[in-house]
Amino acid sequence: MGVVFEMAALKVLSSAAVLLFGTVLLMATARRISTCAWLFAFQSLVLATEVASVAYTQHSREAWFVAGMVFAVKVIAIPYALLWLMRRLHTPHDVGASISPGHSVFVMAGVIFVSFWAVRLYLRELRATEVTLAAAVALILSAAFLMVTRNKALMQVIALLVLENGIFLAALVTIFGMPLIIEMGIVFDLLMGLFLMGIFVFRIRDTFDHLDVSRLRRLRG
Amino acid sequence: MILALVFFLPLMAAGLVLTLKERRAATLFALAAGLIEIAGIAFTAWRVYASGSLEFTKYLRADSLTAFFLINIGAVFFLVLLYSTSYIRHIPAGRFSSPRWFYALLFLFLFTIIGVYLTSNLGLLWIMMEATTLASALLVGFYNTEGAIEAGWKYLIVCTVGLAFALFGTIVFYIAGVRAGISPDAALQWRVLLHAAPALAGSQALIKLAFVFLVVGYGTKIGLVPMHSWLPDAHAEAPSPVSAMLSAGLLNCAVYAVIRYDAIVTHSLGAAFSHHLLLFFGAASLVVAGLLMIVQQDLKRLLAYSSVEHMGIIATGLGLGGFFGMYGALLHTFNHSFAKSLLFFSAGHVRETVGTSKISELRGLARILPWTSGAMVVGVIAIAGLPPFGLFVSEFSVLREAFSQAHWFAALILLGTLSIVFSAMTYHFLKVLTSHSEAHENLGRLRDGKGPEFVAMGICAVVLIIFGITIPLPFSNLLHAAMGVLQ
Repeated sequence: MGVVFEMAALKVLSSAAVLLFGTVLLMATARRISTCAWLFAFQSLVLATEVASVAYTQHSREAWFVAGMVFAVKVIAIPYALLWLMRRLHTPHDVGASISPGHSVFVMAGVIFVSFWAVRLYLRELRATEVTLAAAVALILSAAFLMVTRNKALMQVIALLVLENGIFLAALVTIFGMPLIIEMGIVFDLLMGLFLMGIFVFRIRDTFDHLDVSRLRRLRG
Repeated sequence: MILALVFFLPLMAAGLVLTLKERRAATLFALAAGLIEIAGIAFTAWRVYASGSLEFTKYLRADSLTAFFLINIGAVFFLVLLYSTSYIRHIPAGRFSSPRWFYALLFLFLFTIIGVYLTSNLGLLWIMMEATTLASALLVGFYNTEGAIEAGWKYLIVCTVGLAFALFGTIVFYIAGVRAGISPDAALQWRVLLHAAPALAGSQALIKLAFVFLVVGYGTKIGLVPMHSWLPDAHAEAPSPVSAMLSAGLLNCAVYAVIRYDAIVTHSLGAAFSHHLLLFFGAASLVVAGLLMIVQQDLKRLLAYSSVEHMGIIATGLGLGGFFGMYGALLHTFNHSFAKSLLFFSAGHVRETVGTSKISELRGLARILPWTSGAMVVGVIAIAGLPPFGLFVSEFSVLREAFSQAHWFAALILLGTLSIVFSAMTYHFLKVLTSHSEAHENLGRLRDGKGPEFVAMGICAVVLIIFGITIPLPFSNLLHAAMGVLQ
């Protein structure tokens, strides 16, 4: 019976990648910031499940702890905070896309393609399965893409969170995550960073009356 | 034990100063805490000097390189405190912006920088480095004006993204370490990695990948071109003591991280790869910053670009390697922080008394603010790299390495940029200091030449002159020991 569970856990690791590619593509099509926040929550849920399956196969208590932390912080707390921010800000909820969602999906498909190509160079040294590693790289690249093509301040925050998810996944699938204390420190920095960005978002809205960061261009040269 | 004290004292001070609502009380408390911290740092440096290294649990460690940078940040921080005592009067009360918040954030900022220096674990180093961004973002946006908010947001986002890349690099480095047979617990200890460096050569592709990400990531915080976009905004919009802290403290702290990684990569793959990368970023920073300095219209922005240029010199020194390249780069981090503090202090004083730092609106400062102008002249001569100031020695040392390696490209870029920068600096500052202006006549003689801010400027000038003439023996020994750590 235990063997069956272990096989299932291993399957989770590789098949979760497909779900992650799904969130990447959907995020490109999203027109509202709240959709992206929900997608981020789902993405983090997939990650938490992956950590849990690693914890199960490796019999690691630390990994169970990390799974719980990811679930509490990234699946519950951060999406909740983002949705709360959006309710409080009373500003338009569109993502402020400078590339239309249709085109974005094409770019994202290209990004996924590129990530498969990019990881091939390192597969031998990393000993990870191709598809999971490609998912990590795809998350990182898609976050970079979202960051430069979405103009709303909150979308930049979400892109940053996706970027962090990608890096987290890269560490998870290659060496089953970083040491616990480092993992905790990273999550703490993430939370503090989010708190500060929240403060700044309010200040931007109060001072400029909008949250379009592409229109913040007084300082240049 | 002393390490834990030096590490946690600023954090405690940050918490305690928040309870003091009155400006005078907060100022006195901050000065006292700053003095204790300096004493702690001096004691740490002395112990390291005597015994080679100090350790506290498996997370805190100080060796000569740490001590060298600690002395630098300790001194700069105290000067900033001294300068702030009078500067703080201009701060309007508001949410998160009152004297006690200013001091609390400043101490928090110090805590994170010292954390970067003291940690022996490269993962914790990343965590503390990210914390430096978080602690200083509110300081950058302290004035809550349009410009300050824009600069603060940009600073927060650009540096967090940059550091995310550095995190990726750190993870890849860790993977390479574990693959090389280091136990997962020790694979982030930088000393273990340095000893095991030859074994890391087995995963050459990973090490290279990691180092590229690390240089781009921490290079964002150093302000290397083309990742420098946050730097001029943040330096120009922040309150002047914070600009000095950023330029003289934060940038060095990121340089420190790159030095540590560079040592490991050089030991495992040879110098060629990492040094070429650093030379590339160094040369780019030198050229771009040098040219942009000509067209600046704001005094503090000009100084910010000058910081980019000097970080370029440091990166070039590290990239050249060799004894004089390394020696010059390390010494330059020290000299630059004093010269830049001096300049930011004087520019800040100008902005507070005259009300602007726009070059086009400032005329005849030498008449209105003779003492501040004097400090400014000393700062400009020092920052342009002329004798008898410290920066001449360190820049000459880097140049010497370039010539002795017959590295004509680096030498040409260095000399070319230095002459462009010299003319840009003298052009802008001569305009501001000398020519006559009707507009400022009614300002009459402003309050000048009194108060603790001039003590701070004086100390900077004296240190610069001393280091231009002779490097004190204990300091020189410490510097050599710091270079020995990296061998």
